[in-house]
Amino acid sequence: MDTSTINSKNIAYPPGGILLWIIIFLELFTFGAALVAMVLYSKDEPEIFHQSKLLLNTTFGAINTIFLLTSGFFMAKSVENFKENKIEKATFFLKLTMVGGVLFLLLKSVEYYFKLQAGLTIGYNTFFSFYWMLTLFHVIHVVVGLVILLFNYVGFKRKSTLNLEDFEASAAFWHMCDLIWLLLFPVIYLLF
Amino acid sequence: MRKNLLLIVWLVLIMLTICTALVSNSTLVTSVSAIAILVLSAIKFFLVSNYFMEMKRAHLFWKFSIIFYLIIVMGTLLFILK
Repeated sequence: MDTSTINSKNIAYPPGGILLWIIIFLELFTFGAALVAMVLYSKDEPEIFHQSKLLLNTTFGAINTIFLLTSGFFMAKSVENFKENKIEKATFFLKLTMVGGVLFLLLKSVEYYFKLQAGLTIGYNTFFSFYWMLTLFHVIHVVVGLVILLFNYVGFKRKSTLNLEDFEASAAFWHMCDLIWLLLFPVIYLLF
Repeated sequence: MRKNLLLIVWLVLIMLTICTALVSNSTLVTSVSAIAILVLSAIKFFLVSNYFMEMKRAHLFWKFSIIFYLIIVMGTLLFILK
């Protein structure tokens, strides 16, 4: 394992790598634009948006926020231990990170199940079109993030050549899922 | 110190999440609660990027990019909601 540090003060080397940060900003602007569009549409149908928001389970949303933030905390701890060459501890925290992600997906599945049972599908109204598109797109990111973390975990277990830049890039992708959720949760679940 | 710092940031993030939920259930005027919810979320976003993603130790360009993004998105949302 190469745990040597990178000079992140250099503009070309943000933690995680410049290419990943370009992707992160593209993703953030895409989700940001979609949320702006959602708020704009809410101006035309304020009552429908308000009534639809009341059909969402805010508690589920808040618990999922805590799952992702806690998972992000464990990810940061894992990177910290990796840099100190404490691979066993890094592996342990990485495992906890993945547990957080899986719990998020499980609760999201329960939420989706209730919505589908109630007939609140993507075509129900404008609010639910945005709800399904944005949250499903986010779920896809979480699934991809989990697959990336799983590859890192297998790499740790096999003691293969995993360097700090690769691990930081994986961590940055995972934190991006937190960032996107931190935008989605307040706007979709709380604002209208 | 850094080990404790991550834990402190996580605790602050959890507290802010609880505050956000409380504000959304409060009897505040809608526009005031909307501002509070978005500002609290912006703080959480900044904390995650700065401490968990370690942008704190990145070049100024990247730090300002995060702040610029938050101002653009949150500012636009607040402008539309006002």
